[in-house]
Amino acid sequence: MATNAILTENLTKVYGKLTAVDHVNLKVGEGTVFGLLGPNGAGKTTMIKLLTGLTDITEGEAYVAGFNVRRDPMHVKQRIGWVASEVILDDDFTAWENLWLQAKLQSLPEWKDRAENLLTYFGLLDRRKDRVKTFSTGMRKKLEIALALLHQPEVVFMDEPTIGLDANTRHMLWDLIIGVNKEFGITVLLTSHYIEEADALCEQISIIDHGKFVASGSPTELKARVRSDFVELETREAVDEAQLRTIPGVSDVRTQGKTWILRVSAAEEVLPHLFSTLKTDEIRRINVEKPSLETVFLDITGERIDQPGSDVPDYRKFYAQMRRARQ
Amino acid sequence: MSQRSQFVGLYGRELLRTFRNPWVLVITFVQPFMWLAFFGSSFSGASPALVQQIFHTDSYIAFLLPGVLSTSMLTVGMFGSMSTIQDKRFGFMKRILLTPTSKATVYWSKVLGSTSRGLIQIPVMIVAALVFGVRFAGDPLMWAGWILGIFFLGLGMSCFFLAMTASSTDWQTPGVISNFITMPLMFASGALLPLANFPAWMQAIASVNPVSFSSLLGRGIVVFGTVDWSYLGYLALFAVGMLLAGTAIASRYLKAE
Repeated sequence: MATNAILTENLTKVYGKLTAVDHVNLKVGEGTVFGLLGPNGAGKTTMIKLLTGLTDITEGEAYVAGFNVRRDPMHVKQRIGWVASEVILDDDFTAWENLWLQAKLQSLPEWKDRAENLLTYFGLLDRRKDRVKTFSTGMRKKLEIALALLHQPEVVFMDEPTIGLDANTRHMLWDLIIGVNKEFGITVLLTSHYIEEADALCEQISIIDHGKFVASGSPTELKARVRSDFVELETREAVDEAQLRTIPGVSDVRTQGKTWILRVSAAEEVLPHLFSTLKTDEIRRINVEKPSLETVFLDITGERIDQPGSDVPDYRKFYAQMRRARQ
Repeated sequence: MSQRSQFVGLYGRELLRTFRNPWVLVITFVQPFMWLAFFGSSFSGASPALVQQIFHTDSYIAFLLPGVLSTSMLTVGMFGSMSTIQDKRFGFMKRILLTPTSKATVYWSKVLGSTSRGLIQIPVMIVAALVFGVRFAGDPLMWAGWILGIFFLGLGMSCFFLAMTASSTDWQTPGVISNFITMPLMFASGALLPLANFPAWMQAIASVNPVSFSSLLGRGIVVFGTVDWSYLGYLALFAVGMLLAGTAIASRYLKAE
């Protein structure tokens, strides 16, 4: 257990009739960035709640920073940091006052030097006396990460930290997360439903779906598991599935209404056969995907990680509502 | 593990939030004047003899002051509850409970925060009464006891509200509870009128109503210069009982979200 920052044994959480996390065994090495990848409702946030002691464990055990979450939750909480999907700060307080409160909550007698260093690192030192409500979303995210690092935690949990952010802010945060991991040697457990985020940041990934881990490994290992290409096809009318299966190079066909997902050996070889099998005016849209974490997820679960219509909240609206409510 | 640091942080947060909200301050300062102006004027047309006969003093405002301060303590817990629900809905409670802070500490900080907010009204109300020409009786020890009694009442009521809403995330819950309890506790007490004219069943309620204890304690001191310390004892018991029960409930049921 000495080299595992996080370890779970058959970790399970049941809400009524719903098993949100189902006998999960997880090992996260010290100093790594570990990704929990899955669609909305897969069980990622529940995993974080279980590992941080925020919700009771139904069955199994969890160890974080060497402490049993069920028996020693306060020792765990002294050693973890948390970055939420939405920014959670006291808007009417200054950056420094937010840090002061975090220092009090963590019982830190000496915190000012550390706070100044963190504000310097995140480029916020000259704004420390400004109220947080005047900060941009990126600055607020930076401050939130600074709060999570103030007490020098061993493990930081980041629950979909870049959801709802624009591309520039997201990439800025990626650099910060990598920096935090390298600079401070902190273990990061990150949940995301952004494939490219997990690919860019994580050394190890577990794919979670319906509360179960369905695959684990490094991004390279996971991508190597899927040697096939995927062709996604949208047609005007329903087509005969048997007809698609007869196309040379097609190894599997899945359908979602008028959208067909073909698992193929090499897309460039299959496409001419596909076009000769189907009339071109039958095809509304066609999309070819080479092996990626997205296709890994598609291959394992039969679904895309972020299905159209999934309930991704608009956090810009959320922040605006929150600010208005506090005024 | 000592929770002193966490308590100082969270209680400080409550005070800072209160003093940074201009509307809270405006209402805190304006409300006592309105109470005294509207209620205090209700007997201004009555003859001094009638006022003396009913209230045993020639100033209804002096009679009313301890009752109004007691009544205002009924609702301070509602603000603490609403602040707690806001913390749950905006995720701040999660931020707190992901640090080594016990639920009891969160509860105590909220309870004391809302009680402190209610206490701000005391000096404002006293100044308002002086403006309305009231002359006070009593000595400093008695006054300290009276203010302590109001503190106990506010603490007990805040404990009650926050315990009742420990697991709630619905903005409406504190208001509903407030509407439900404020009227009976206010009118079935000696806060606004003398108990002597109440029917027996209302006198029975008033005899166990902490709002009565606080009102009668204060009235004896500021109007007549006499004190019945047993009222302070009852109020202390009420506050301690509510604090113990509320701490047990919050430790078990306070939700992070």
